[in-house]
Amino acid sequence: MAQPQAAVSVFTMREHEDRVPDSGAVFTFGKTKFYENAPGKFWFKNDLPIALACGDEHTAVVTGNKKLYVFGSNNWGQLGLGSKTTVTKPTCVKALKPEKVKIAACGRNHTLVSTEGGRVYATGGNNEGQLGLGDTEERNTFHPIGFFTSQHKIKQLSAGSNTSAALTEDGKLFMWGDNSEGQIGLQNISNVCVPHQVTIGKPISWISCGYYHSAFVTTEGELYTFGEADCGKLGLPSQLLTNHKIPQRVPGIPDIVIQVACGGAHTVVLTEKGVYVFGMGQFGQLGLGTFIFESSEPKIIEHIKNHEVTSIFCGENHTALITATGLLYTFGDGRHGKLGLGLENLTNQFVPTLCANFFRFVVQLVACGGCHMLVFAFPRLTMAEEEYLDD
Amino acid sequence: TSEVSEAQTTDSDDIVTPVSQKCPKAGSEKICIEIVSLAFYPEAEVMSDENVEQVYVEYKFYDLPLSQTETPISLRKPRAGEEIHFHFSKVIDLDPVEQRGRRQFLFTMLTRQDPEQGCLKFTVVSDPVDEEKKECQEVGYAYLELWKIMESGDSLEQELDIVSPEDKTTPIGRLKVSLQAAAALHAIYKEMTEELFF
Ligand SMILES: [Mg+2]
Ligand SMILES: [Mg+2]
Repeated sequence: MAQPQAAVSVFTMREHEDRVPDSGAVFTFGKTKFYENAPGKFWFKNDLPIALACGDEHTAVVTGNKKLYVFGSNNWGQLGLGSKTTVTKPTCVKALKPEKVKIAACGRNHTLVSTEGGRVYATGGNNEGQLGLGDTEERNTFHPIGFFTSQHKIKQLSAGSNTSAALTEDGKLFMWGDNSEGQIGLQNISNVCVPHQVTIGKPISWISCGYYHSAFVTTEGELYTFGEADCGKLGLPSQLLTNHKIPQRVPGIPDIVIQVACGGAHTVVLTEKGVYVFGMGQFGQLGLGTFIFESSEPKIIEHIKNHEVTSIFCGENHTALITATGLLYTFGDGRHGKLGLGLENLTNQFVPTLCANFFRFVVQLVACGGCHMLVFAFPRLTMAEEEYLDD
Repeated sequence: TSEVSEAQTTDSDDIVTPVSQKCPKAGSEKICIEIVSLAFYPEAEVMSDENVEQVYVEYKFYDLPLSQTETPISLRKPRAGEEIHFHFSKVIDLDPVEQRGRRQFLFTMLTRQDPEQGCLKFTVVSDPVDEEKKECQEVGYAYLELWKIMESGDSLEQELDIVSPEDKTTPIGRLKVSLQAAAALHAIYKEMTEELFF
């Protein structure tokens, strides 16, 4: 060490930050299996993450060089590496290298990816047909779903407990897997093993699969929900709940909806005017404070109203928000350090809480899983202090 | 740079992970206490007491200031059949050299039979919403017998009866706590009893 001691001890935090390259790093929190579940970080040589996805206990990272890296639990073969061994370091799925991966989604115990050639691959648990391969046998390597061809330009993938969804550039939504609660939008069938189109006669612009419920947004900015109706997580008035197996419009949001994220039993909605939430909030995942632990009616999060939120993410029991200036706010179940707010003093957070770890970073990508969170961020050149102090 | 190592496997040869800076404490040199959740029984007096609107939970641990051992927030009083979740966990350093006092404190708890000194005592406190009008008020106590943890090992979550300050025989609710302490308690018991006898 050439640096004088004093400078090192005074600027421990800065020194820590300085070790992240200007191009940024992926930060891991909670039960990731990486770094013995302690908060860790990694980055790529000559490559950058462009997409992150978290399942219940596994993680996928897609890079700008179109490679797929995976790690975490693998007891269903959800990492697609040809084995069922837990993987503790980000590991490239070499079998997919020639395919050029663009998008990834992790369900509770399965993984979906789409490639430049327009194919969709699936691996992992398949007890409800969530791999879309026409059967219910699990796989430990990525298999192409025959249904999808280069005609389908995939814009987004999403995966839930045992459900899968693919949304195309032209607004067509396909879903498959578990339908026990109507979470893939069908009336009288328990599950389907091949993709089927979910349509309401309007193009769709965003899809999110929760654990047992699902939601999508139309290009016109309307929100639809379907699946398990317990705890208000569909955000629908009670008279609409008998039809919970088919997508129904959520009437309680007056603004244009942009994104939706579904967690274990809660739903978070980004509109042009703010962030709305509904469902279960017993751990604080609704961010509505310490007096509201459940809401079946969409409620705006007042606490974050002064910030321009650009992206929303839900884990099973926690929520994350990125602002236009690249700050990260988290709330909900604080166990395992998955909120990124420390390790030795943990607590549930009932309002959006600034992740001070990233105060000097610009947060670009986030993914939330069952008990973990991944963040891709790069060092900030100008301080965010002004915005934060305005609070 | 020298602070950076590359992962070993060829699969991940384009990944960089910085080497760990900290050396994690051994299990015998720390304990973790978590206040998980609480519920009151529907018939308990506290349920109908309008003065109790929100509650927090605290415990005392030797030299630690209360600000570190109380839940940082108060939550709305649980409704009948409802549980409120704090998930407030704290890792307490029990370094054999620097934290002898804390180890002695735990040893005393392990060897006393009465609830006040032989148990870790959790206090449920009513935190008035309007702080100007009312004061904080203790509404219940729950006792965790540490020697049981030492004997039966760590349990992920255990439910403790909450009793009221007035009547310590009738439970008014239950407090869920979780403790990772068995390894530290064993080590402390062994070293302190050896010191007593040799
Ligand atoms: Mg959890
Ligand atoms: Mg206080």
